[in-house]
Amino acid sequence: MPLDAPFIQRALVEALLLAGLAGVLGSWIVLRRFAFFTHGVGTAAFPGLVVAVPAGVAPQLTGLAAALLYAGGVEWLGRTRRVATDAATGLALVAALAIGVILASDVFESPASVDRLLFGSLIGLSDRDLWLTAAVLAAALILDLGLRRAWLAEGFDPGTARALGIRAALADPLLLLAIVLACVVALDAVGALLVTAVLVIPAATVRLVAPSVATLQLGTAALTAVEGVAGLWFAYELNIGPGPAIAVLGGAVFAVVAVVTRWR
Amino acid sequence: MAVIRVDGLAGGYAPGTDAIADVAFALEPGTIAAVLGPNGGGKTTLFRALLGELPLRRGTVELAARPAYVPQTDRTRHDFPVSALDVVLMGAYARTPAWRRVARADRDAAKATLDRVGLADRARRHFGSLSGGQRQRVLIARALLQDSGVILLDEPLSGVDATSAARIEELFAQLRAEGRVLLVATHDVEQARRWDQVICLHGRQIAFGAPATTLTTDVLGRTYGDELVILPGGERAIAVEHHAH
Repeated sequence: MPLDAPFIQRALVEALLLAGLAGVLGSWIVLRRFAFFTHGVGTAAFPGLVVAVPAGVAPQLTGLAAALLYAGGVEWLGRTRRVATDAATGLALVAALAIGVILASDVFESPASVDRLLFGSLIGLSDRDLWLTAAVLAAALILDLGLRRAWLAEGFDPGTARALGIRAALADPLLLLAIVLACVVALDAVGALLVTAVLVIPAATVRLVAPSVATLQLGTAALTAVEGVAGLWFAYELNIGPGPAIAVLGGAVFAVVAVVTRWR
Repeated sequence: MAVIRVDGLAGGYAPGTDAIADVAFALEPGTIAAVLGPNGGGKTTLFRALLGELPLRRGTVELAARPAYVPQTDRTRHDFPVSALDVVLMGAYARTPAWRRVARADRDAAKATLDRVGLADRARRHFGSLSGGQRQRVLIARALLQDSGVILLDEPLSGVDATSAARIEELFAQLRAEGRVLLVATHDVEQARRWDQVICLHGRQIAFGAPATTLTTDVLGRTYGDELVILPGGERAIAVEHHAH
C-alpha cells in the first residue's frame, strides 16, 4: 500500500477520524440501543445521494436531508400510534431503498456508481470530506462532554433522569441528531448500507468486554482505527472495496470476541 | 409543619381522562407513609405528580424539598457497564457541572452511603452482577446521595432477599429518625400496618390516615376490589396481584 500517495493518506486520516466518531457516538449507539436507527439513517440517505450529482449539490447535503426526512417520518408514524415503531422503520427503509434504486436506474448508466453510493469508497475522498468528518467529530466530542451524564442516566434508568435533577429533555434528540450527522459524513467512506460497520460493529465488539463507558469509548476508537487501517490494506492488496473489507473484518473480529468471551 | 401537602390533586396523560383524582394528604417530618393500591391504581402516577412530571388538572402540590426517587430495580438496565459506585454517583449529577468530575466530597459521600446500605465492599462490582436486593440498596444509596428530605420508593421490598429486606427496613427507621419523609409504594398490607400513615389509591384516593384506623376491611375492599382475599376469621386481608404487564 503506497503510504506516500495522497489518496491513501486521505483514506487513513478519514479512517482515524471515523474511529474517533465511533468511539464517542458508537458506544452510545450500542448502549442506548440505537443500532437499527443508525442502519436506517444510513440506508435512508441513499436516495439523497443519488440525486446529489445531477442536482449539482454536495452529497452530504442531500444525504442529510433524506436522513432527516426518514428520522422525522419514523418519529411521526410512531407518534400516531397507528403503526408500531419497528414496522414504521421497516416501511421507511424499504421505501428509501426502492426510491433510491428507481432514481439510480434513471440517473446512472454505470452500476459501479450505484455500488459506490451503497458501499462507499474510502480511497476516493476529497479534503472537504475530511473537514466535514472532523467538524462532526468536534461537535460529537462537545455534545459528549456536556450530555454524557444525561445519556448515561437516561439509558441506565429510562424516565428517571429528571428525578435525578438532570435536564434531559434535549439530550436524546441531540444524540439522535449527532448520530444522523455521523452517518452522513461516514457515507462517502463506507456507503449507505455499511455505516454500521463503523458506527455499530466495533462498539458492539468492545461492549462484550468493556467494564465501563470510558473503556468502551476508548476501546471502540482503537478497534475502529485498527479495523479501518487493516481494511484499507486488505482492500488495496486484494483489489476489493474498502467498505466491504472493513465490514467483513469487523464482523469476523466480533465473532471471535463473542466466541472467546462465551467460553471464558 | 408539613413537608408534603397535597390538596384535591387530579391529573393524567390522556386528554379528558384523569389517571388519578381526589388525592389529599399532608405528611409531617419523620413519617413513613405506605402508598397502597392494586397494579394500575395510581401509585407510580402519584409519584410522577410529586416529581412534577404529571400534567395536573386540579389541586395543588406543596413540597418543602425536591424529592429523591427510587425506581423498581427491574426498570434499570442490568447490562449497562456501570459499577455500584457509578450508579450511586448519579445522585450527585444535579450539583456537578457537566465539564467537571464529580467532587471528591461527593465521591466520599457516595462511598459512605454505600457503606450505610451495607455494600461498601461491593462498590466496584458491576451493578448487573449484584442480587436483586443489593441492586435495590444501591438505588436507595443513590437517592440518599441526593440528600433530599423526601424520598419516594417504588415497591422497594418487592422480591428482595430477606437480608436486604431487613437492612432496608432498618434504614427506613433511621431515615425516619432523621426527620425525613418516606413514601413507599407497596402491595403488602401487613407491611403498611407497620408504618405511620397509609394512602389507599384506586384511580382516586380511597382513604388516608393512620394504618390502625384506616386499613379496615371496607377500605381494603374498595382499594383492591376483586384482588382482595379476606382470610378466615375476617381479621386479616391480603391483596392478590393480577399482573397485567
